[in-house]
Amino acid sequence: MVRFWRDGYPRQLMLKKNLLGTLTEICLIVVVSAAAGIAWNRTLLTGAWRGELTQQAQAAPQGEELPMPIGLVQVKELHDSKQAVIVDARSAASFAQGHIAGALTLPLEELRKTGPVGLKAKVPTSATVIAYCNGFSCHDSMDLGKLLMQAGYASVYVFEGGYPEWRDAGYPTATGAL
Amino acid sequence: MNGWKRHLPAAVRITLGVIFIYAALLKIADPVAFAGSVAAYRVLPYFASYLTAAVLPFLELVCGLLLVCGYRVKGGALIIAGMNLVFIVALASAIVRGLDIDCGCFKQGGAKTSPWMALARDMVFLAMTVFVLKTSQIKTPHTDLTDVTDNVR
Repeated sequence: MVRFWRDGYPRQLMLKKNLLGTLTEICLIVVVSAAAGIAWNRTLLTGAWRGELTQQAQAAPQGEELPMPIGLVQVKELHDSKQAVIVDARSAASFAQGHIAGALTLPLEELRKTGPVGLKAKVPTSATVIAYCNGFSCHDSMDLGKLLMQAGYASVYVFEGGYPEWRDAGYPTATGAL
Repeated sequence: MNGWKRHLPAAVRITLGVIFIYAALLKIADPVAFAGSVAAYRVLPYFASYLTAAVLPFLELVCGLLLVCGYRVKGGALIIAGMNLVFIVALASAIVRGLDIDCGCFKQGGAKTSPWMALARDMVFLAMTVFVLKTSQIKTPHTDLTDVTDNVR
């Protein structure tokens, strides 16, 4: 019995068993967590899969309504098909230096002062609006998106890569004020 | 053994668990903003950012609860170690690529935490996880069996 243990075979067996047990444990935790996360966020995931606006605000009516982030590829598709109005949240000076071709200028500061009166005259609230600013470190587009949603725009997206990502991708840009 | 030394493993385990539960709840409360934080790293494609934002907080929550409860600690701690390693690689990649982004580790859309700060914090969490793993192995079945064989002799 003693030699049997000293040979190390059962010890290796136990190590293998422990390793297998730990791996099973890890797999189980990951599967349970993934299932819970997917079930909890099923509406958001369905919306993201279809490229639709999130229904999160309806699921949590007391929470703040947030615009949905959108990626470069989707922005390009909507830009080319003219299915969305692209709005630049940066200052008028930054807009004049360079902006996404066809975008409208709507500086966040200006919107805070005057409200979206000017935009509403040009763009109906039923339109899909994409807000952008100076990339991932810039939060103005998200703030602008929130204000637009509060103003009645139902389909608002935020392009977080913003002008730098668009320009670096070699997509059409323009300079000068509108 | 001194009192504080005896309780140190449990204190570190519970602290780490609470940190991960706290981080998870903040992300679960705002999955869209967290998806934006994930997308900001420019590593995952569009839908994968949302899938990560949906699943990762729940993984953090479950692992945090396991650590706090002291149940299946090894499995929970190993996953947390894995997550920390992934976070460290992602943050290092953001630093190398010069991305000026919020790490998205805790409150979404709040005060910005620089990648360097987040990297240092994740290193501390990783060290805590290694400590938890080392101290939790004291009561593994393997050690218990060795004790049994010693008694047989």
